[in-house]
Order: sequence, then C-alpha cells, then structure tokens
Amino acid sequence: MIALRRGAPLSAFFLACALSIIWARPAQTRTIQIDDTGTLALEPSVSLRWKSVAPPRSGSDNLMLGTSTLRVRLNVMPWLHRSLRIYLNLPAQQPGPIAISWLTQGRFIPGQLRSGNRVLLYAGPITTPFLEDTLTVQYSVDGSLVRHTFPVTFHFETDED
Amino acid sequence: MHGNPASPARHVRFERRELRRTVGAAPSRAALLSAALCGALPGAACAYTATLGAASPQTVFLQVGVGTFTNPPYINGGQPANNTTINTVSATVASSAVGTGTAQAMTTNSTQTQSFWDNYIYCSVPGQVYIGGFYRTAGGTTAAALVTATVPAALTDTAGDTIPFSKIQWTSSGNGDSGAEPFPAGTFVNGGVQNVGSMASNTWNESCWTFSYLNNSIPPAGTFTGVVRYTLSAP
Repeated sequence: MIALRRGAPLSAFFLACALSIIWARPAQTRTIQIDDTGTLALEPSVSLRWKSVAPPRSGSDNLMLGTSTLRVRLNVMPWLHRSLRIYLNLPAQQPGPIAISWLTQGRFIPGQLRSGNRVLLYAGPITTPFLEDTLTVQYSVDGSLVRHTFPVTFHFETDED
Repeated sequence: MHGNPASPARHVRFERRELRRTVGAAPSRAALLSAALCGALPGAACAYTATLGAASPQTVFLQVGVGTFTNPPYINGGQPANNTTINTVSATVASSAVGTGTAQAMTTNSTQTQSFWDNYIYCSVPGQVYIGGFYRTAGGTTAAALVTATVPAALTDTAGDTIPFSKIQWTSSGNGDSGAEPFPAGTFVNGGVQNVGSMASNTWNESCWTFSYLNNSIPPAGTFTGVVRYTLSAP
C-alpha cells in the first residue's frame, strides 16, 4: 500500500511532463472579427434560380444559384499603417452546405468558398481607416434544402499573434 | 510642422508603436479596439447576413403530342410554351377485318418526334405519340407528380352507337430507351380518371405511346370518336 501511494505521484509527474510536451504550442493566435458596419447589399434578398433550367433525364441536378451585389465596407482603423490579412469566413450553418464565389472591383481578392471554411480576401498595408470594394457574390445551394427563405451569414476576420 | 514626415514628433510615435508590437503575448491595441468594436459598441457589426429564397420554386410542364418550345432544346436554354393542338389517334378497320380479334395499329397526326430536352429523335411517327414533361420543385424530395387521363365512357358515332374506350390500349417505349417507362403501357378505362404515369421531381420524363384498337367486337359501321384529356397534378 505504501509503495503504491508513493508511486502514484511519480507517475503523475511523468504524465504531466509528457502532456506538457504534447500540448506545447507556439505563440497564441487570436482571430478577430472585423467591423463590417456599412456593408450593404444592393438587393434586399437573393433570389435562387435553378442552375439548369431543364431538369435532367435521370439522376438529379438540384443546384440553385443566386447573385447579389455587395458593397463591403470594413473598419480597419485599428490596423492603420500596418499590414493586414483579411479572411472571408463562411461558417457551417443551416440549412446545409452552401458555397459562395465572388468577383471584386480589384481592392479585394476574388475567390470562392464552401461553408465551414475561410479564404484570404485581402493582404496588404492598411492606409485608410476603411477598406471598401463592391463584390458580386454568387450563392450556390442544393435546391432540396431550399424549403423557405433562410439567412446565410459570413464575416470578415483577421489573425493576430 | 504636422505635415512634415520627418518631424521628431512623428518619429517618436512610430518608435512607440513598434515597441508595443514586440511586447510578449499582451493583446495589442488593435486587438482590444477591434474586440470593442465588434463586441461592445452599439451599431458595430461583425457579420453580414444575406437572405436567400427560391425565386420560382415550382414549375410543371406536360406535353402530349405536339408541343412548342422557343429556341429548343431545353438544355441549351429553350423555354416551354403553350400549344393548344389536340392531336388524333385513329384506325380504319377494313370490313373484312372487323371483330377478328387482331389488334389494329393506330396512327397519329402528331408530328412530334424530337424530345425538346435535347432535340433527340425519340419517337417515330405516325405510329407513336410523344408524352413528356417535368415537375421542378425546391425543398427536398416530394411525392411524384401524377399524370391522369380523363376518359369518356365510350367512343361514339353520330348515330349514337358506341365502342367502349377499354378497346384501346397502348404500349410504351422510346428510341434508345432502357428500363421502366415513366408513362407505361396501359388500357383505357370505360369512363373515369385513370393514372397513366408519374414524374419524380426535378427529372425530365418522356415516353412514346403506340396505340392500338383491340378489334375483338363487332360494332356497327361508322366513325367513332372520343376525347381523352391528360392532366398533370403536382403535390
């Protein structure tokens, strides 16, 4: 009994050491959402239409597409005179998988994204308090998920050490 | 003084900023300010929400016999249009053949051979009548759309003689087809509404019907006619 009692702390010590090695991490990175107050859509809602107007002879082609024009205005004042990498983050959300792609006027990087991921939208110096661009955003969603109108939320973020 | 980039004051501010960025793991001013903007200040927004909805969640189309499409085929952007033509299917039975029990092939005045889906020559005329369509709907799997035939009790002539509609049957096929037809073979009922096929949602469905007169009875001589109306009903 005594040996067991004395042995237990020793095992715990080695275990703690092992865990501390395993969990050692480099400098911690914070993800910060950027204030997008002032971002406006030119259309109040996005109308989804069938990608293929004609349904297929067999199988299914249920993809629906909708386009919206978005005037993005990001408050980047906190990073003024610094370099910044801004990501567009489309979280996984209801009613299910969704994809977006976008074209820009040149200030931001055009790209595409599936829900549950993020992609680089801007990388460079911040020389003005606000970053602005007009995006033509296309939403792609399985029509079988479109039972009624639904919201799709995304945000802009950056990482800081 | 303020506009001079080489002024001592600006130089000092720059050095202080660099100093803060190299300090350990303490949150930077930028991080704190951003957190405040997004999390605390009223009016600050850190996410954009778009509202999506189906523009035209349901579309149905049914064509029996000739139909109309603008700029076919459909897969290249053609659009279905209305066509009010009522096609006929007929057989002329020689007096020597009447009532022999040998089915008489019926022919149609429909000229529709192409599938408007892709312009493929799907049916052969005058022996076949094209039937096709689709049921487009958003929002998941639904019950199939049904196609029904509303059938009079009998074909009649001007003298009031009749031939039961059940004396007419049809087979179903299509050039290059394999597997079950969406509009299968059948025989008309003697008056009433009968199912003649179904359409799974979001698929194009089509068949070619070949009609025949059973010719197993002896009606009076005459011209017997009747009109069958086909209806597509979506859930």
